[in-house]
Amino acid sequence: MSALVEMVDIDKSFPGVRALNKAKFELLAGEVHALMGENGAGKSTLMKILSGVYQRDAGSILLDGQAVDIASPRQAQDMGIGIIHQELALMRDLTAAQNIFIGREPRRMGGLLLDEAALNAQAATIFASMNLKLDPRVQVGGLTIARQQMVEIAKALSYKSRVLIMDEPTAALNDAEINELFAIIGRLKAEGVGIVYISHKMDELKRIADRVTVMRDGEYVGTVPAATTPIETIISMMVGRTLSNETPAFPDVSAAPVALDVRGLRRGREIRDVSFSVRKGEILGLAGLMGAGRTEVARAIFGADPIEAGEVFVNGEQVRISAPQDAVRAGIGYLSEDRKHFGLATGLDVRNNIALASLSRFTGPAGVLRESAMRDTAQGYIRQLAIKTPSDSQEARLLSGGNQQKVVIAKWLLRDCEVLIFDEPTRGIDVGAKSEIYKLLNALAAQGRAIIVISSELPEILRLSHRIAVMCEGRLTGFLPGGASQEDIMRLATMRPSAVAETEPNRKTA
Amino acid sequence: MDSISTETKPGLIAGIRTSGAFHKLLAFSGLIALLVVFSLASPNFMQTQNVLAILQATSVNGVLAIAATLVIITGGIDLSVGTLMTFCAVIAGVILTFLGLPLPLGVLGAILAGTAAGLVSGTIIAKLKVPPFIATLGMMLILKGLSLVISGTRPIYFNDTPGFTQIAQGSLIGSIIPALPVPNGVLILFLVAAVISFILGKTALGRYTFALGSNEEAVRLSGVNVDRWKIAVYALAGSVCGVAGLLIASRLNSAQPALGQGYELDAIAAVVIGGTSLSGGRGTVLGTLIGALIISVLANGLRILSVAQEWQTVVTGCIIILAVYADILRRRNL
Amino acid sequence: MFNRRTLIGAISAFALLAASAPSFAQQYDIALISKGFQHQFWQAVKAGADKAAAELDVSVTFEGPDTEAQVDRQIDMLAAALARKPSAIGFAALDSQAATPLLEQAKAAGIPVVAFDSGVDSDIPLTTATTDNVAAAALAADKMAELIGGEGKVAVVAHDQTSRTGIDRVDGFVNRIKEAYPNIEVVSVQYGGGDQLQSTEITKSILLANPDLKGIFGANEGSAIGVANGATELGSKVVIIGFDSGAAQIKAITDGVMAGAITQNPVGIGYETVAAAVKALKGEALPPVIDTGFYFYDKSNMADPEIAAVLYQ
Repeated sequence: MSALVEMVDIDKSFPGVRALNKAKFELLAGEVHALMGENGAGKSTLMKILSGVYQRDAGSILLDGQAVDIASPRQAQDMGIGIIHQELALMRDLTAAQNIFIGREPRRMGGLLLDEAALNAQAATIFASMNLKLDPRVQVGGLTIARQQMVEIAKALSYKSRVLIMDEPTAALNDAEINELFAIIGRLKAEGVGIVYISHKMDELKRIADRVTVMRDGEYVGTVPAATTPIETIISMMVGRTLSNETPAFPDVSAAPVALDVRGLRRGREIRDVSFSVRKGEILGLAGLMGAGRTEVARAIFGADPIEAGEVFVNGEQVRISAPQDAVRAGIGYLSEDRKHFGLATGLDVRNNIALASLSRFTGPAGVLRESAMRDTAQGYIRQLAIKTPSDSQEARLLSGGNQQKVVIAKWLLRDCEVLIFDEPTRGIDVGAKSEIYKLLNALAAQGRAIIVISSELPEILRLSHRIAVMCEGRLTGFLPGGASQEDIMRLATMRPSAVAETEPNRKTA
Repeated sequence: MDSISTETKPGLIAGIRTSGAFHKLLAFSGLIALLVVFSLASPNFMQTQNVLAILQATSVNGVLAIAATLVIITGGIDLSVGTLMTFCAVIAGVILTFLGLPLPLGVLGAILAGTAAGLVSGTIIAKLKVPPFIATLGMMLILKGLSLVISGTRPIYFNDTPGFTQIAQGSLIGSIIPALPVPNGVLILFLVAAVISFILGKTALGRYTFALGSNEEAVRLSGVNVDRWKIAVYALAGSVCGVAGLLIASRLNSAQPALGQGYELDAIAAVVIGGTSLSGGRGTVLGTLIGALIISVLANGLRILSVAQEWQTVVTGCIIILAVYADILRRRNL
Repeated sequence: MFNRRTLIGAISAFALLAASAPSFAQQYDIALISKGFQHQFWQAVKAGADKAAAELDVSVTFEGPDTEAQVDRQIDMLAAALARKPSAIGFAALDSQAATPLLEQAKAAGIPVVAFDSGVDSDIPLTTATTDNVAAAALAADKMAELIGGEGKVAVVAHDQTSRTGIDRVDGFVNRIKEAYPNIEVVSVQYGGGDQLQSTEITKSILLANPDLKGIFGANEGSAIGVANGATELGSKVVIIGFDSGAAQIKAITDGVMAGAITQNPVGIGYETVAAAVKALKGEALPPVIDTGFYFYDKSNMADPEIAAVLYQ
């Protein structure tokens, strides 16, 4: 019997990135096959190729032993391949039923009109089979993320697919919903559907997966049986890299005064009672998987998003932050994940970008900007941070990623921020520039600034952080000392809420 | 969280949300308020003849606004509705006056001209990926120029086609009920509204119109041929503009080639007052109809009250901002 | 609920303000529907109408569409004015045919109609208060010929080719040149919609295409200002004759950029329209056309009381 799906030697490149390199994957009928790997390992890309969203550069896909080309999502559906995307792909203004059947609406009057009654009835049937109490006529935009996720799942089920790909389907679900989903998966499995299950959560794998394939850096690492392979083995397959042997020396900052103290930060399911502090001269790494709530915490501290509860103290004094300008006034700078969208005015030159947050300092009595002072300041930072730019009047968009990042850093340094939050500081930056950014962060810490680094790359967290806070599903699941192992972080990062209570006594706090 | 109520009482609240009934209620009560105020202020306002004049004045802008509604629900914008209307009127003039062909061919020609222009706009937007604002801005100028070229820059009169003025000015209802001489133009406006409402609510084209405005990428990932449907929406909007062209030409008994620019803004104002979101995904024809009525009731009422023209413009501007602000407040509270 | 109440409140406030504005004395209510509104020319017509209203103790409203292309908007204004049941109507048609049904409605209701400016192509209006545009443009041609020495190339920048004034002024100028000045050639007649900027661009292109051009006639205020601007931008010393007045044109003449201009008597048009309407209401007889007159003015005679009275700033 041939496999339901066989993907062999798949290559895929995006401009500047090799996403997949001879990746392979095999799925049997009636099997739940977990696909694992760190963020950026290529899992989602591989599955998008299988579902027709991307086209492969090389390699072959066999469906029931027959070589096929999957040119579009439509074609994938026709072949019986369904996918639940990680980013929800729903139309917020349409109802649940309308979303499920988009493109395949039941018709009447010879195909002229939509049969709304049949549409709702069919959706209701699917919901019933999922044990889901949801009115098919409800508008999706008004539902919680979890319910939206259930609608996505219902949509995938409605295709009656033979191959069903679930990309982190439980990211937003609670335990009861997850149990329901697993029951559905069990039924589908019994019907012979092959299920690809992408998840970071180890406990889930143990519950439902038959086999586990691990990917790393776009390459195939190996396939192991889920039941008999210890979690430690799987994690080490995922992490793989040998740690750099030059163990960085971390300064002892335990005597330094606390620069930022966050207490009881809370907002819905995204931020659940987060408390931590950072000392002057300390680099605190904030680790966790995608959707763990790290960026949400940073944005909440910075006042970019509202909070329901929580207090923030800077240098021992409580500050009330309801908007970013409050945070900036209190000396907190935030370097966002997406520089181009939030951190950098790409059309402006380097000089203006650096001065942007401190323009009042360069404004003369008549409201005229003092360009020469701005130029001197900008040139000072260009030297200090070694920003590679022909001049301070170069447009920011023409700089490389690493140098753009330095411009943003210069902007906040000019504001005299004592607390700097870096969200994915090296995303989209090449390897050489990365180590320069690392050096810069260390130098900033040595000057006595408090630094928080959010990163999805564990080696980066481990190399930089004097102390590591790990989040999972909106909670801080634990603190680790600098130089902890990747396995420790992964364990805390995949700790489901139910497991938190058991390990509580072991929490390492600094 | 606001979603809790949605989940506990899905039937009621979802129904109101999806249909936008709440906003229509708001716009509708605004319209009623205007009518009441003007009736109290002047005995000449609530006269049959004046009400008919208001409806007649709404017909062209109303039909144009319905065309704009279609495009705006997809998250796009159509700046060419005004000059496309003129272009269609000129085409009718060419067919009926220059070529002397029978009336039905002129009607068909005008509507087909609109459809064709819509197909072109849609194709430029969907296939060439030119942003709708730019594509339809270009089309607005192209169509304006073509109207002037084709007509020889002079108005084309329909004096040789006796039935032509009946399209907007005659009264089918009046011939049955003499006391109620509702002009056919008004009848056509309501007919177009009903047809487009039906298409939006009951057909696949309507469903994709909302879906595109809601999350185009999601529609693409669902395996729907996004480009084709987008082009279809623009084509449908174009044919509605064709109807508007016939209405205005019939009303003036001439195709005025220089007219049309600026009308797109009135149409968009009516759409916005009617509660359709410029960001797409939400909107109703009924709301737009009410929006168009509010604009013409306001203009007419202020004239009846002899308010100076400068102030009429100020008041209209205030009403547009008020209407949209009311919508924002509503969404914040719900 | 808060929103709706605010809306209603705002509307009622406006309505009250509006309702209290006109006086309710038993006077004649005369509605003037013009071809434009913001334009200086129309504001001068309005000033004349207001002057007559004050002198004759009648109430006058004055409305017009934003551009002269908006035929249907003008029809809506006429319809609303009729619904108000005014004593009389003054009307300057953008398109006479389109207005015919409403004018017949006015006739049936016994509301006298007085045409003004370009008038109405219909027998319903009792009289028309207007400028003889053909004769006015012919005078511009004579002055042009005089200033360029009776020979050379000239051009015309006009506002539009569909309206009566546009046609009459272009024909009046071009025909007069053809008939009386065989050595003068009209090389170009272009239309800028009465828009200053557009007319400027047109003028520059004409000047660049015809370096030996002697003179340009700008057939209305916007066109004339455009011509003056275009010539100034290129540093050309071409002879310019304008039409109408307005602050910009008067300054151009004072500065010597423009040789002179034909002025209608817009204040007189407004005044005569209202006066004629009052006469009609009192049952007095009216001539078929009331010529409101025109003048050529330049630096030398601008200050004459007779001219200064009809120039508007």
